Amino acid sequence: MIFYRPTEGDVEDKPIVLTPRTCFLMTKLGKPISEDILKIRKSITSVLSKYEFGCIDANSLMTGKDFLLKIWRLAMGVPLGVAIIDSSMKSQTMANIFYEVGWMQSQGKETLIIKTIDAKIPSDFVRTEYINFDTDFINRFNAFLTSIDEAAVYYGFLGDQLENNPLLSIDYYRRAFLITGSEEYQSKAKEVFERSDFKGRAKNSVESLHCGFATGNQIIKKICSN
Amino acid sequence: MTKKRDVVQVKNPKSGHYVKIDRSAGKILSHKKSPKPYKNIPVARKSKENKK
Repeated sequence: MIFYRPTEGDVEDKPIVLTPRTCFLMTKLGKPISEDILKIRKSITSVLSKYEFGCIDANSLMTGKDFLLKIWRLAMGVPLGVAIIDSSMKSQTMANIFYEVGWMQSQGKETLIIKTIDAKIPSDFVRTEYINFDTDFINRFNAFLTSIDEAAVYYGFLGDQLENNPLLSIDYYRRAFLITGSEEYQSKAKEVFERSDFKGRAKNSVESLHCGFATGNQIIKKICSN
Repeated sequence: MTKKRDVVQVKNPKSGHYVKIDRSAGKILSHKKSPKPYKNIPVARKSKENKK
């Protein structure tokens, strides 16, 4: 996977810190935050922890460097992005949230929009899965999280099927690893990497960065789900 | 003589549709528009040793 930094369009040549089994929350963070958003956030965090998913947002890391680049790196390191919106949000906040949802979708992350019943979704996101925060919310969110685990099995299986295309195979293993955190996918990717004669490549080569989650070139951070 | 292709299909759980894969070339060939599987293409299954 080649990542292009959104700030200047150059290729990211440093390994992105990966945080498997973690959800990146995209919502309004600055005060005032509506009661609805606070309630939805609390509910999401509680369900995610039952599935052993950790939760981070744009404020989770202090770097003192470029804020946009920081949140982009956080988003690129997780398997799942959840956007929370309500009708009281300003259009600037909404634009930021959907910009981040777009990043995540384009990089093969699982995404979900959780919204209050009266909140409207931009038309380009009509095919993006969304859940209304209503009486059936917990059931539907549970079903969504179960479907993510099924997707991980599918990605892992595609990784097996596509071994003759090493970079694609490793990429599917990486996606399965991000969702599950399972070492099984790391070893499978490492096997493909070693078999493909990529070993002599520079540490910041596309191949090495791509397989960094399996070779130890990339930092893997575990976020506590509680 | 044409090389024999090793083509299988796998169901994508997200879309519920089948994806046709050429294993020998390591390529995804196509995505089925309807939920039915492709005709005459074997469905790839996890082998026992791959199962957790």
